[in-house]
Amino acid sequence: MKTDIIISIENVTKKFKDGDGEFTALSNINLEFSKGEFAGFVGPSGSGKTTLLNIIGSLDSPTEGNALVMGKNIAGLSHKESALLRNKHIGFIFQVYNLLPVYTVFENVEFALLLQNYSASERKKRVMEALEWVGLQNMPDKKPSKLSGGEGQRVAIARAMVKRPEILIADEPTANLDAKNAHIILQMMKKLNEELDTTFLFSTHDEKVMEYLDRIVHLEDGKVVRDEVKNKVAAS
Amino acid sequence: MILAFQLAYRNLMGAGLRTWLNAAVLSFAFVIILFFNGLIDGWNQQAKLDNIEWEYGNGQLIHEDYDLFDPFSVQDGHGVLPVSEQENLVPILVRQASIYPEGRMLSISLKGIAEEQEIVGLPTHLLTNSTAEIPVIIGKRMASAANLRVNDEVLLRWRDVNGTFDAQHVTIVGIFDSNVPTIDNGQFWIPIKKLWEMTDMEGHATMFISTVDQPKEIPGWNFRSQEDLLRELTEIIEMKKASSSIMYILLLAIALLAIFDTQVLSIFRRQKEIGTYIALGMTRHQVVGLFTVEGSMYSIFAMILGCAYGVPLLIYLAATGIGIPEASQEMGVSIADRIYPVYGFALILGTIALVVISATIVSYLPARKIAKMDPVNAIKGKLQ
Repeated sequence: MKTDIIISIENVTKKFKDGDGEFTALSNINLEFSKGEFAGFVGPSGSGKTTLLNIIGSLDSPTEGNALVMGKNIAGLSHKESALLRNKHIGFIFQVYNLLPVYTVFENVEFALLLQNYSASERKKRVMEALEWVGLQNMPDKKPSKLSGGEGQRVAIARAMVKRPEILIADEPTANLDAKNAHIILQMMKKLNEELDTTFLFSTHDEKVMEYLDRIVHLEDGKVVRDEVKNKVAAS
Repeated sequence: MILAFQLAYRNLMGAGLRTWLNAAVLSFAFVIILFFNGLIDGWNQQAKLDNIEWEYGNGQLIHEDYDLFDPFSVQDGHGVLPVSEQENLVPILVRQASIYPEGRMLSISLKGIAEEQEIVGLPTHLLTNSTAEIPVIIGKRMASAANLRVNDEVLLRWRDVNGTFDAQHVTIVGIFDSNVPTIDNGQFWIPIKKLWEMTDMEGHATMFISTVDQPKEIPGWNFRSQEDLLRELTEIIEMKKASSSIMYILLLAIALLAIFDTQVLSIFRRQKEIGTYIALGMTRHQVVGLFTVEGSMYSIFAMILGCAYGVPLLIYLAATGIGIPEASQEMGVSIADRIYPVYGFALILGTIALVVISATIVSYLPARKIAKMDPVNAIKGKLQ
């Protein structure tokens, strides 16, 4: 178990307006994640997996409690500060890849670097390196519409990893993939996790994903019901 | 900002035909605005030059009792200016008269002018060279209205200084072609000495055309500068410009509506993309900026497209001019039978600014919605 804590969730509760009332998506969550973890949130639909990932990814903020990511309290960040946090430290992989449709593979991956003002030559070097990680170095000029599902998700991984973030958030990354492609993607992510020491956080109910995870946080009705660390129950 | 332009350029080029359709509509508005304003500026410039060349010279010294717009002032609006004061001035005496071509009666202004003058373009040398008893030069409009040709004789009736009628045949010795109707319509030009003799008004003048910009002040006479004399013409042309602008404002509005529509649709259709931009680290305001720049880049593309077909077209039209129908020349305003559009820097820069600023505004208005979007829902493409 690695010890550098980069994510610390303290008593986080998230409520959404639901008509005239409120819906509690997360209730008093306490979790910590260290650098280089390969962990995932598992649970049925509506258990709060994605909400928790969104808070960690600074796309959303908790109603109560503190979510400290890279030392920053998400609740207190302005739009600009949270954008900077995502830009520098967090990569995202989505269920439906969310590739920018008018951009080529190269441009999609390059996008994250454009926001960080890298020079053109540095961008090219890094993009090609990221495409090599995912085995797509031969198709930089293809448009997303010409890619298969597996290829699309590999581009999404390259886009998320090209800026070498400390945290990578993957929301149901294999939900739209067949078993073979899901395994390829997961092996790729595991390899990147080991080589680059990036913390991977998944939300999933795919058992194939769970096989690869070193730590599984089980959520139900917005509460942590079990926190498994590789053959060992760490907390409940 | 550079990033917004870079990304907007990629997005628009990636959007392909949709981008070029919008740019084409906007470029059409751009070229039409330039063309119409250039045409009116060309008309304005040409009309000013014509008026200076044919009528105003460097300004006019007008008798204080004479009002160009009051025909009753012709009777008494004249006076004698000592010869010593007439340096750089060409005298004109205006009297009312009638002619009787083909048995009809037409009221005219009978104008006497010094034949030796060279300050205005009237071919007064024809009056000097003629052997006719009373030689007359008229403009083509007058000739057409009275059905007169060179060497025709027509009966002229006038009143002398005492109000006594007199009549005599006059000979048309020349018909001039001028774009300035105010020296043509209803006017007979004869030697001023002959008019003095006919009216017994030796030395009288209604006005003088000045050969210098600012003659000395003379009591009883008002000097109207070139600029002052041209003011009415400029105002008429400006009014015409304003009324023509309705057409191109409509055209521009259609083009801007297309951009606005595209932007509104984009923001609905591209919510997932907006959410992805935010997830990848763009601030909401950067995304608003990106969409606004995308919209204003339509105007840049429109200019490039407009230049591709507009520059050769506008240069060709500036060289060949636009033919103006005969009927338009009866309007009473100086207008040539062919107008050559003029495209000044101010016009080009003004049009560019108008198109770019208006495209930016219509792009920004719908893009503001992005700032209020929830990125979580946007990533999922949920309508907000």
